[in-house]
Amino acid sequence: MIGVLDACFIIDWCKYRHRELLEQLFATLFIHEETLAQLKSETTITYVSRLLSEGKLRLYPWSQIEEDEYLRLRGEIIHDPRIPSLERPDILCLIMAKNLNAILLSENTGIHRVTEFHPRYRGLIVWTALETIENMIYKNILNVSSEDEFLKLVKEYEEDTGHIFKRSRLEKSLRRIKSWLKR
Amino acid sequence: MVEKIKPSRELIERWEKEDEEARRIRREKADWRFIEEQEPLIKLALIVYIETGDIYRASRIAGLTIDEFNEIRLKAKIPHIT
Repeated sequence: MIGVLDACFIIDWCKYRHRELLEQLFATLFIHEETLAQLKSETTITYVSRLLSEGKLRLYPWSQIEEDEYLRLRGEIIHDPRIPSLERPDILCLIMAKNLNAILLSENTGIHRVTEFHPRYRGLIVWTALETIENMIYKNILNVSSEDEFLKLVKEYEEDTGHIFKRSRLEKSLRRIKSWLKR
Repeated sequence: MVEKIKPSRELIERWEKEDEEARRIRREKADWRFIEEQEPLIKLALIVYIETGDIYRASRIAGLTIDEFNEIRLKAKIPHIT
């Protein structure tokens, strides 16, 4: 499985006590150099440097065709006030994930909204940390035997990162876990 | 000229409800004393973040990268909500 990292995801994820498990979930992770330029704190740099040095995280080779798609996509969506501002690095992540057929790891509401309505990006899979934790359970990277244990993992993430998941999303996730536990 | 692609009315209505709920939580959880103590641009950036949840816009106002702004967000106890 291939993943693409955006800045919002990685700056929170690197604070999570189980952050190293991301490497078990994905065979390879990609990041754009402009996303990398957003990372400044010691915690984030330390984590990302390790991933890069171990070859788990790679810099994405950006091309002119992708630059043309960036200009097109920006023109199509950027002025809609209901989409939280999508900066260039966010849009680059969308294009990278689509071209790599990868899972985009993003906590950016604007990114999620683009994949809800834009015809070329509608099928793109975008995970927040919640779906990432959930998928670690399905792959037996994190072990839980009850819904409460899943909620404990989510709580730990929220405590470590100052990040809250919307109740509706958490309920959907919990339903999927419940069904998986019954398998 | 690139043609704009617009979301449906149903999606917009759902997004507006989600945004309002997230804004309410950020306002409730924020450490307003900490925010009041900050220099004007940082204070403004934190308030913009509370109202919009838009970390890029807030970090630009603060003159910081989003990673640097995120550290201040944590000190101000403003949750990131997705």
